Amino acid sequence: MNAVDNNRVVVTDLVKNYGSNEVLKGLNLTVKNNEVVCMIGPSGSGKSTFLRCLNKLEDPTKGKVVVDGFDISDKKTNMNKVRESIGMVFQHFNLFPNLTVLENVMLAPVELKKATKSVAEKEARQLLAEVGLAEKADASPASLSGGQEQRVAIARALAMHPDIMLFDEPTSALDPEMVGDVLDVMKKLAKQGMTMIVVTHEMGFAKEVADRVVFMADGHIMEEGDPQQIFDHPQNPRTQDFLRKVLNA
Amino acid sequence: MRKKIFWFALLCTTLFSALLVNATTSHAAEKTYTIGTDITYAPFDFQGSNGQYTGIDIDLIKAIAKEEHMKIQLKPVGFNAAVQAVEANQMDGVIAGMTITNARKQQFDFSDPYYYAGEVMAVAKNSKVKSLSDLRGKKVALKVGTQGAAYAKSLQKKYGFKITEFDQSNDMYNDVITGNSAAAFEDYPVMAYGIQNGIKLKIVTKPAQGGNYGFAVKKGENPELLAKFNKGLKALKKNGQYNKIIAKYLGKSSVAKATATAQKQDNSLWGLVKQNKSALGNGLLQTLYLTIISIVLATIFGVIIGLMQVVPAKWANWTSSTLIYIFRGMPLLVLALFIYIGVPNLTGNKISAFVAGIITLTLNEGAYTAAFVSGGITAVDGGQMEAARSLGLPYGKAMRRVILPQGIKIMIPSFINQFIITLKDTSILSVIGILELTQTGKIIIARNLQGFKVWTIVAIMYIVIITLLTWLSKAVERRINK
Ligand SMILES: Nc1ncnc2c1ncn2[C@@H]1O[C@H](COP(=O)(O)OP(=O)(O)OP(=O)(O)O)[C@@H](O)[C@H]1O
Ligand SMILES: [Mg+2]
Repeated sequence: MNAVDNNRVVVTDLVKNYGSNEVLKGLNLTVKNNEVVCMIGPSGSGKSTFLRCLNKLEDPTKGKVVVDGFDISDKKTNMNKVRESIGMVFQHFNLFPNLTVLENVMLAPVELKKATKSVAEKEARQLLAEVGLAEKADASPASLSGGQEQRVAIARALAMHPDIMLFDEPTSALDPEMVGDVLDVMKKLAKQGMTMIVVTHEMGFAKEVADRVVFMADGHIMEEGDPQQIFDHPQNPRTQDFLRKVLNA
Repeated sequence: MRKKIFWFALLCTTLFSALLVNATTSHAAEKTYTIGTDITYAPFDFQGSNGQYTGIDIDLIKAIAKEEHMKIQLKPVGFNAAVQAVEANQMDGVIAGMTITNARKQQFDFSDPYYYAGEVMAVAKNSKVKSLSDLRGKKVALKVGTQGAAYAKSLQKKYGFKITEFDQSNDMYNDVITGNSAAAFEDYPVMAYGIQNGIKLKIVTKPAQGGNYGFAVKKGENPELLAKFNKGLKALKKNGQYNKIIAKYLGKSSVAKATATAQKQDNSLWGLVKQNKSALGNGLLQTLYLTIISIVLATIFGVIIGLMQVVPAKWANWTSSTLIYIFRGMPLLVLALFIYIGVPNLTGNKISAFVAGIITLTLNEGAYTAAFVSGGITAVDGGQMEAARSLGLPYGKAMRRVILPQGIKIMIPSFINQFIITLKDTSILSVIGILELTQTGKIIIARNLQGFKVWTIVAIMYIVIITLLTWLSKAVERRINK
């Protein structure tokens, strides 16, 4: 753990432009250790972009982003090192089809010399057991269902022992009957004290698991607070409007 | 893994030593003059049935070299290749039934004339064409760059015929024999020798617009070589050797003998294979060397350039795009001539035709390879790179472990395709005189005039090695896809 204080993520005045299109318009957010933050908001509001700025899959245009004690808006920061402690789970899983399930999970620890092959394999099997896929170790990703793929992707991220996990709509590409399995894994993770930022449309999950809910619209954070506050007493008219739409849908 | 590296290293070492051996052959302690000759220009330059090059030009230059105590190395590469090689300083001189003209004197210094020949018109045995005026509206076959061609072109307006040009005498003759063209124009001794050796044509005009054959060096270069040639020629004319050489090829008795032996030869497909098996074998070997070395080097070059196309660095992308644009855009034939003839002109260093051929194929096939390598990598879903990088893998590792294995699967069919194209493209290198399979075929045909059968044999040989290459590639593909 590199954080001097109790903060895992500190974002200050973050701006992101695509050409002349300003997508993030000066965001501020702090995420504490062991905190679970859920981000909600309409499509195109900049949630994915925000998440991707946290591990520099996108280069922030302006502002300061400190993750796990590293100032990643500083060009000299070794991003490979920082990324080792930030796990990321994508909407479309992005498992490596050229590797087996087990190899997917072992790849990074072995390549980055975090563990010997045999230790990495033992750990990988254990992680697969935790997400309920022990028997799929030697299967190829193509033979899995979406829900299974996403659980492997979570195990793969966890294999690097990250301090923070980022989830970008991890269940929106899944058939409804698969969603529960993935959310269960995420709940378990939250209970174990993992620091998590989750972009999601699963309001039930946000209500149950989040310590804090952040509502984004038009590149701004419009409102944030604990789940009761946001879901039961939204203050901002945009939040009220958004929740009315998704909850009645 | 270690085993693979070992085999790869071994292969590379072998290839480079092969290149070196080829490159060093041009060095010699004492000055050896390299002389280019034609290959399909009997009775001046042609391949005898024993596989050795012979003819008036060959005997003459050898006799002069002996007379003057010169060391010479003959390079039978064909008229065009020889002339261009001399212009490019790749060779010292050319003797190839070359007529002395004012235009050529701009580029070359000529010796004293060693033979006087006029141009004649030849037509098919059963043709009704009897004179130049019968040519109106008909097609005439010519050989590129010859005096016969120049003569015919000077008559074209007056007699109103159309022109088709060929690289090889035999192709020109055949065009007339098959009736595609009404007539061919050729130096008298060449035509006369050919007809007496079985070409089904007849001469219908008197030798006209005679020209003198001369030995040529590049203008301003090798004056001592020219002087020695002139001195030697004078001596041979004096001591009777010159007349002996001419009589050997054009004297009645020798022609009769040559015809007799030609008729005795077994011209069945199998007979031709047996007679020419060492020439065909050598041609095949050269084709295989060219193919294998080029495939390996083009693959290495192509993969590097292809990767430069996708890495996140502007200068690398730009360099790669430019290289692909140039070498994919340039016709292989032009590239081969440019490298063999143009580059030595620019740098002043000779390169052997073989090395020039390898460079040509490496650049051209490599550019195509680069294009599908970068295409294959780009075709891998972008989420793959993001997922790999988000795990902390550096760019190179992500490329090697995640992107390339997927990209290569996409590329394999293109690789196999490219290997086969490379094999076929080696045949184009016959223009710079490499004695590969196609060139071997041309030379055999120039001697025995069995065009159809020899091309059948050569075609079958290509099909067989292409089949083997395809089969080998598929075996490798199965292993990779396992
Ligand atoms: N690579 C890019 N180039 C240009 N514009 C982009 C790029 N990525 C995102 N955008 C734009 O940025 C804005 C925010 O996109 P983002 O994907 O962050 O939204 P989101 O809140 O995640 O939406 P969704 O709920 O649909 O995933 C959108 O208008 C989008 O078109
Ligand atoms: Mg999104």
